[in-house]
Amino acid sequence: MPELRLSMTAEARTVLTDLLKLIAPAAARVSVNRAQIPDNDLEIAGFWTENLSAHATEEARLLANAFAQAKGDPAVILLRDEAQACAFLRALSAVRFALRDLVFADISDDQLEDPSDLDDDESLPTEKRHALACYACFGLLQQSLVRQLDPEAFD
Amino acid sequence: MAKPKTKLENKPQTVVAPAPKWNVVVLNDPINYQGYVVIAFVSVLRITNPEAKKLMRTIHQNGRTTVWTGERERAEMLALELQQWHLNALLEKDA
Repeated sequence: MPELRLSMTAEARTVLTDLLKLIAPAAARVSVNRAQIPDNDLEIAGFWTENLSAHATEEARLLANAFAQAKGDPAVILLRDEAQACAFLRALSAVRFALRDLVFADISDDQLEDPSDLDDDESLPTEKRHALACYACFGLLQQSLVRQLDPEAFD
Repeated sequence: MAKPKTKLENKPQTVVAPAPKWNVVVLNDPINYQGYVVIAFVSVLRITNPEAKKLMRTIHQNGRTTVWTGERERAEMLALELQQWHLNALLEKDA
């Protein structure tokens, strides 16, 4: 499989990179907290917790590095193979979950799925609207990568 | 030559019950895109794209579905891998 490519404006890269510095460290913790870990066996529960935390931490690091190293305008992120692309996809998912749990806890799932109404909601703090825009951008990058990995994945 | 006596009638009977099956269940979530879920299923469950799409649609419509059933150790491994993909995966003992 040829390398996979994600591109964005330099401005978007800067904004997303800044947000990632804040949210990526929390993404691993959110991943572990959300997981339904079997609790009837302490040894297995410990292994799961450690495994999920290590995976999420490593993928958050991959994501942060990829954004930090993307240069030019448009800024381009190159992913060398399918394994790296899948890790990148998972990391984007973790960040979106972290934003959902830590920043948008008061926004319903339906609103978050179609946030066009929220764009005009002036009662929302600027920071939250900013985070919503980033959440949408991470989603667009994820969809772009999914289409490159498997053009038939979406209906 | 005399045949050795066997006392089969005194041999304790053992009943071998099949090991219980475990289900790997995936719940719907509002964050992950459908295409992402399809890729996760193909990668973790080693199934085809149409099979993965069918599972994904069932979850979308019903809120959950069993994606795999079998022995416990393998079920645990698959549930863990699906959670690494940030899917709402859990284990349930098969009824």
